Amino acid sequence: MPRVLRHALLVLLPVVAVFAILPGVYSNHLLLFNFIVFMMLAQGVNVIYGFTGYLPFGYVGFFGAGAYGFSLMVLHLHAPPLAALLVGAAAAVTLGLLLTPLFRLSGAYFSIANLAAALAVFQVVSNPALEEITKGPYGISLSGVFNPTLAYATALTLLAATLALVIYLRNSHFGMALQAIREDPISAGMAGINVVRERIIAWLLSALIAGFAGGVFAWYVSVFYPETVFSGEFTIFAIVFALFGGNATVIGPILGVIILYGIYNAVGISTPQYFQLIYGALIMGLVLFLPNGLVSLLQRWGIDVP
Amino acid sequence: MSLDPLLTVDGLVKRFGGFRALDGLSFTLKAGEILGLVGPNGSGKTTCINVISGLYTPDGGTIRFEGRPIGGLASHRLVHLGINRTFQIPRPFLGLSVRENVEIATAYGRNRRSASDVNTLLSALDLVAFAEKPAGELNSAHQKMLDLARALATGPRLLLVDELAAGLNPAELERVGAKLKELAQSGIALLVVEHLMGFMDQITDRVIVMNAGKEIFEGSLANAVRNAQVVEVFLGGAYAA
Amino acid sequence: MLVYSLLAGLLFGLYFSLIGLGLNLVFGVMRIVNLAHGDILMLGAFLAFWLFTLFAINPVPAIAVAFAVFVIVGLPLYYLLVPRLLRAKDPEMLSFILFFGLSQVIEAAATIAFGTSERSIPGGELGAAIAAVARVFTGHAVENGPVEIFGQTFPAAWVASGLASGFAVLLVYIYLYRTKLGTLTRAVMVNREEALATGINVHRVSAIAFGIGLGLAAVAGVFAPFMLGSITPAMGAEVTVTSFAVIVIGSLGNPLGTVLGGVIYGVSYMLMQSYYSSWANLLPYVLLIAILLVRPSGLLGRQVRRA
Repeated sequence: MPRVLRHALLVLLPVVAVFAILPGVYSNHLLLFNFIVFMMLAQGVNVIYGFTGYLPFGYVGFFGAGAYGFSLMVLHLHAPPLAALLVGAAAAVTLGLLLTPLFRLSGAYFSIANLAAALAVFQVVSNPALEEITKGPYGISLSGVFNPTLAYATALTLLAATLALVIYLRNSHFGMALQAIREDPISAGMAGINVVRERIIAWLLSALIAGFAGGVFAWYVSVFYPETVFSGEFTIFAIVFALFGGNATVIGPILGVIILYGIYNAVGISTPQYFQLIYGALIMGLVLFLPNGLVSLLQRWGIDVP
Repeated sequence: MSLDPLLTVDGLVKRFGGFRALDGLSFTLKAGEILGLVGPNGSGKTTCINVISGLYTPDGGTIRFEGRPIGGLASHRLVHLGINRTFQIPRPFLGLSVRENVEIATAYGRNRRSASDVNTLLSALDLVAFAEKPAGELNSAHQKMLDLARALATGPRLLLVDELAAGLNPAELERVGAKLKELAQSGIALLVVEHLMGFMDQITDRVIVMNAGKEIFEGSLANAVRNAQVVEVFLGGAYAA
Repeated sequence: MLVYSLLAGLLFGLYFSLIGLGLNLVFGVMRIVNLAHGDILMLGAFLAFWLFTLFAINPVPAIAVAFAVFVIVGLPLYYLLVPRLLRAKDPEMLSFILFFGLSQVIEAAATIAFGTSERSIPGGELGAAIAAVARVFTGHAVENGPVEIFGQTFPAAWVASGLASGFAVLLVYIYLYRTKLGTLTRAVMVNREEALATGINVHRVSAIAFGIGLGLAAVAGVFAPFMLGSITPAMGAEVTVTSFAVIVIGSLGNPLGTVLGGVIYGVSYMLMQSYYSSWANLLPYVLLIAILLVRPSGLLGRQVRRA
């Protein structure tokens, strides 16, 4: 069986099936929805970090751009949700395009600049001076489009599309080229790869994923403050989930989300400080002892991980 | 085979701050020719390769490939035009397998080639045994062969070879030398930078001796060692007399 | 208003230079992004607070205590974390995450230990120290209160921290450029592998630099209750981001660059506060990105980071 099909059967179908059925048996739909959002975000980080090696410490900027793009379309133009969603995603991609000069920077500089950019977008959006347009620090309240069922279904579809994209990356020459760029951009150039262009494509794909996630999040909750959708927590969780599971694979980020976000929801909300302590220690242990994630253990034993 | 030179370098200049690594270098290279590039350390040999292969932009002079100027073009575009190079210290994609290393070059190089070409290349360079291993597990001699495979996978018409011989044992040297000559016979032009004079003598038709960023001699290797200026540049003035 | 903004910006900026100094040293020597820098500062602030509240120790001697404690803490922490980290394929990026984890651990532990309420130290404490110094220099009694410069009044604490920052920068400069250990440190900053090849004990040099970096952060923390208002366990994050802006604007590895970065940041911030206050928070981020794109080596730097 071709590898693509095998990966799709092993990962995409089960995940989508599980999250399609669960709302029927488990009543906390918001939690399930959040799982879907984080799975998308972790894959988004996977695309840019796992495949090209750039760490997007300002990833939440795209999420927030998607959320606000969606919301402004609904607020000011009374757009139907699906159209507004597309605009939200486009907003995130536009932000990504604006940030492409950051690729001239390497390593830590890129991450810091990306973080600064996300914080800057947050400052602009939440500024009282722009209250007319963005509602400033008072937050968004969308009446008329509130439809958690449809939003959930859309989110699940978007997750399926995201997983399909990552499966494609895992099995295509494009994905291989991205990994080559990550290993050695000069050699990659001499293999005929247009390093700048491929990197930007990966970046924009990553922004697109977060943009859709943000837009569908705004649709589902319909009420939020700027701090909510620009919270650094989204970036951190997405990065840690992706890292914990393992980069440049399809299943790594999913494992990361299920295990870590699962633990967080089971234990962490009631005793936030103790959870923060353990989480922090877990992150440190991860970096020191298992930097390539959980799936690297499997790969070490020769298993071809999807 | 056309009689016009495939590659013409004219007055090439490359500066790093105040230092002129290339100071008006000029030479030509025909298809099917193997041109040697020798010179003392720091004379600009690797810089010459770096500029022609697009790693650096020239600060002056021209480079023409098949008649068109290529100075300043990005590496991947040069690859698509038919130029490639090996690295003095090989830089394979360590996380990918040996096969994938070659595969990516066939996929993105000139004339997208098929999977069977990957196998042909791997066997020609004795890499079949390691095909599925991660490139990082190879020893340096095999990594050099992998680097050469990567360059050849893109179907170049001009190949710049940067000190391939270092670290190879005599048997490997002979195989590599024969391979390079084979490539030349098939019409590829080769520019070979080397320190190992025996190897150079074996494979090149003519050599250019560089010093301080410029060519100071052009001709056969045998005549080069008799040239007073060449001797002086390599061994010092006391020997030139 | 302009003169006030400029002078306040200068003092405030000097404080941020002090904050950035430690971070600059660590990043310059190890290429490690210490995202826990702000949290170390927070610990230094709490150390000063507890020394004052429990033992009535004035903040000035607390400076020395804070420095010593965190240098001593820094050395084993380095050996625990960094050598393993540097063996990975991508240490710069992983250091981000590692030290982020550390910052979470520190913040959580501090919240559990100290609670979330805000603490502060009366500004008069630092003022007393200034008054004492002034009395020594001028020979007559100086009142403990606001200090006047060029006709503008500033809290004595601000002047004290400005002086302390300048002094700290001087000490770091002397360390780097006039001591043998400092020269070795600069060698490691420029090229770690070559330094190793010439026989320098790179880990020892780095560990000491790391300890000093943490010590400087703690010293900045002692001044935090006066410069930044009240202190809480969660204050570290914002400080870290701002200090990154400062060191990037200045340049890497050069303590004078950090001073320049801090002053530019401080003055711009104060000017923004006076004239366009609602947009003032945007400033550090915009400055950071602008500098990184226009002159990535920083205003004084020579090391260029290009991908």
